[in-house]
Amino acid sequence: MNLNPYWGAGFFHVLALFFKRLFLFLTGQLSWQQMASDEVQIFVLVLLSFASALIGTFLVLKRMTMLANSLSHTILLGIVIAYVVLLPFSQENPSHGLSIEVLLIASLITGVITTVLTQLMTHLMKLQEDASIGLIFTSLFALGIIAVTVFTRNAHIGIEAIMGNIDALHFNDLKIMGLIGAVDFVVIMLFFKEFKIVSFDSGLARSCGYPIQFFNYLLMVLTSATAIGAFRAVGVLLFLAFLVGLPLTARLLTQRLHKMILLAFVIGTVCSIVAVALSRHLLSIYKMPLSTSGLVVTLIGCTYFLACLFSPHRGILKRRS
Amino acid sequence: MKNNECALKVEQLTVNYDKTPVLWDISFEVPGGKLVGIIGPNGAGKSTLLKSLLDMTPQLSGKVEFFGEPFKKVRRKVAYVPQRSSVDWDFPVTAFDVVLMGRFGKLGLLKWPVAADREAARHALEMVGMLPFAERQISQLSGGQQQRLFIARALLQDADIYLMDEPFSGVDMATEQAIIALMDALKAKGKTLFVVHHDLSSVDRYFDWVIMLNTCLIACGPVAEVFHAESIMRAFGKEGILLGEAAKLTQTKTSGIN
Amino acid sequence: MNTAFLDFFIDPVLRAPTIGSMLMCLAASFVGVLAFVRRRSLLGEALSHCAYPGVVISALITPLFFSASEEALALAVLIGAFCSGVIGLWVIDKLEHRFRVSDDAALCFVLAIFFGVGVLVASRIQITHALIYRKIQVFIYGQAATMTDSHVYMYSGLVLLSATILFCFYREIQVSFFDRQFAKSIGIRTRLVDRVLFFLLVLAIVIGIRSVGVVLMAGMLISPAVAARQFTHSLKWMFCIAGLVGAVSGFLGNFFSIALPEWGKKAGFDWDFILPTGPMILLSSVTICFFALFFAPDRGLLSRFCRIVKFRDRCILENVLKSMWRKGEGAKVSFKEFASWASYSQFFTFFLLLRLRRQGWMEKKQNLFCLTSDGRLRAAHIVRLHRLWEVYLVHMGQKAEKVHRSAEEMEHIITPELEKELTDLLKDPRQDPHHQPIPRKEV
Repeated sequence: MNLNPYWGAGFFHVLALFFKRLFLFLTGQLSWQQMASDEVQIFVLVLLSFASALIGTFLVLKRMTMLANSLSHTILLGIVIAYVVLLPFSQENPSHGLSIEVLLIASLITGVITTVLTQLMTHLMKLQEDASIGLIFTSLFALGIIAVTVFTRNAHIGIEAIMGNIDALHFNDLKIMGLIGAVDFVVIMLFFKEFKIVSFDSGLARSCGYPIQFFNYLLMVLTSATAIGAFRAVGVLLFLAFLVGLPLTARLLTQRLHKMILLAFVIGTVCSIVAVALSRHLLSIYKMPLSTSGLVVTLIGCTYFLACLFSPHRGILKRRS
Repeated sequence: MKNNECALKVEQLTVNYDKTPVLWDISFEVPGGKLVGIIGPNGAGKSTLLKSLLDMTPQLSGKVEFFGEPFKKVRRKVAYVPQRSSVDWDFPVTAFDVVLMGRFGKLGLLKWPVAADREAARHALEMVGMLPFAERQISQLSGGQQQRLFIARALLQDADIYLMDEPFSGVDMATEQAIIALMDALKAKGKTLFVVHHDLSSVDRYFDWVIMLNTCLIACGPVAEVFHAESIMRAFGKEGILLGEAAKLTQTKTSGIN
Repeated sequence: MNTAFLDFFIDPVLRAPTIGSMLMCLAASFVGVLAFVRRRSLLGEALSHCAYPGVVISALITPLFFSASEEALALAVLIGAFCSGVIGLWVIDKLEHRFRVSDDAALCFVLAIFFGVGVLVASRIQITHALIYRKIQVFIYGQAATMTDSHVYMYSGLVLLSATILFCFYREIQVSFFDRQFAKSIGIRTRLVDRVLFFLLVLAIVIGIRSVGVVLMAGMLISPAVAARQFTHSLKWMFCIAGLVGAVSGFLGNFFSIALPEWGKKAGFDWDFILPTGPMILLSSVTICFFALFFAPDRGLLSRFCRIVKFRDRCILENVLKSMWRKGEGAKVSFKEFASWASYSQFFTFFLLLRLRRQGWMEKKQNLFCLTSDGRLRAAHIVRLHRLWEVYLVHMGQKAEKVHRSAEEMEHIITPELEKELTDLLKDPRQDPHHQPIPRKEV
């Protein structure tokens, strides 16, 4: 415990120490392996904000957020199935999770299956879209919980999937999140104008010959992959806060698409750093251990509230003046 | 592009929406260089006609040719102006961004617009009188301004055929006149325009050719020849309603609903 | 140890969870029907997550300022969840109307943020009030097994309240859901009705999260309503059927969570656990729902499929009659000729002719087939419909050469009412566009 340089530090001390160490990391004077757990948390959350800003913005604009919510729940089933399928073959310690490739493949498959099943219910059974989404994800999630109970006798894996376990993060998770963030960035940037036109005016997109379904599925696949990175850090439900909360806040503050993504990322970064520092402060000074992930999400909520007040074109204060 | 060559030839086009026939055995030919009005009652399949020409809705059967070629080959030559309500006007883009999208089809996947594209977009905005609004967010525009934006985007596509879905609905008189002036200018350049229109009283003033639809084709030809009381009666009268009833019956029988 | 069916209602350990779950599912299904009809099914998903911070905060406050008894805690949790849910509702409404957030994003945002606040406060008490913390975690997945009789009394009261409100307001609800403007015009206070709906929704969720948990509550609102919809159009019957489905799922969930491992053990597996009740309730409900989707008599997939097959079969039969009629009065056809007409196999043709004879449309004389007089009438009627339709299409502007294909389909579909309208409109035509006579309508 005392090896952690942040132990006992107050809020501003944490911030100062963090930036100083960041400089040291970047200039090579400190090796990356010497990263403290607080720093791992900060970096993972920052990368999560990065990925969420990119995909969340388009999910919000395309009104696919409920589908993303659905996906992040059904991933539990995918992970359990992967675990069960590989149990006879692997020597992996269950509490450290499966290898990342397996997780990503599981997430991809569940992402596609969830989307396909939901569309099947809507088109074949002629069910309303909201009911289809609700039915599919709750039943798959229920199956996941039962599978967890039956195969691992440990319902805590289920709780961890919902809430994450940010204190158990280590450097490996940072690498995973970094990889996922990089993939998200590359894909979104590559197809930026395609995503833009498909989200804004699908009619024009289709007449230009763009394959709309392909981009929908691509977005879902990216969301699933990011959810894998996220669920270890903050859990699937709080991942939604990043995915939806950051773009909504950014939307209140700007009218341009690329600025919206950038702002979402910046807000996420600030909330993450403040949350980790605050969490450490409360632990050190008041001996109060709080959930850092809960803290981040609450801060995102507060930021949204502030944005509602001060928004340049929709703000409450602007209207009153 | 020859002026007398057939701009659009449709043969036995049948389009179903969810097993209900929306367009039934439509066949017609329209020569180039005409301003064509598409008329019919609500739900007659006018928007569906445009969408199926653009391959946006699956065709059950039939053949569509623009200047003798299928749509996929002449995609660049056809521009589409959708209904204003089909778009999310809260989207965080400016007027300029929207017009620039007109070039996306030509660019194809993975390429970014260049300086020449931006200049052309500015020019298109100028032509519709929207250059001062270029940097404005689209939700702050009025209905008429939004419509003009769509037209500018279509102009940017530099097409030979323009398909427009209800461009005059919900716009003020000044915008309507401006749009008509633009359409006449395009016609003068030899372009062919197909416009879904809802106001019968202005048909003979605006258009020189007309297509009258009510699930099946009622008439297609020069306004002076085919736009008269009898065909209007057939398109809008009670007779057309039976087609709708028949279509509904077909749907229930073929999808097994009681 | 074998748990009998009746034990679930009598045994002091089992009866509270079972009856409590059934009551909760009943309330949830009623409200679920309302949400489903209004196309706001996922509102339940958002509100159930909103209830979580209320649960946590009230569980924290009650032992400090009020009593620490079990009943007080249960009541406090209900009140806390309710308040939190109502606040969430208010926020969603403000987001959608004042800040122009799309409805799905508003739901997801409120869901996640409220839940995050709940997680934050819960983490505070994780160490300091560990016992209370464990009790609260129960609300994420539900834990019907630890319900007591006092819970059951409370829930019965709440279910009775919901049912009474629904009963009293039934007419207003029915009218304002169907046509809001009309309802306003006849003086129904639609906003009050809305508020009542939302009040009931939060109430049902608050009761329900104890059984199935925050995450799965949405499913309990949706699946009974969807199942009920497959059986009826009437709102009244939807309530009844959904309530039944809900109550049955509540029972089955409890039943299977104990019975399945018991059966497994008997079959030799090493199943030394109890399945979690919440997910089992949900899965029972969803299974019933899927059964309804497939097998419901009117709208079920299976009956739709059967109807389509029957229709296609009728078309084939009628086409045969038509071809026979065209051959002329008194025509007789051999089996070989028949088989050569259409591309049907010998086997199929044999059964086709057999059925036609059985039903009385055709008869067999000296190894040759011909139409009976009934068959002739029916065939003539079909030809009449065919030619009538062709006249109509030409009248509407189609070219005469192109109308045959459409008439081939429509001749099997036109109802007597449509036939009458066509006859009146076209003034009982005698000839079709190809100058063939149209058979008269038989009186």
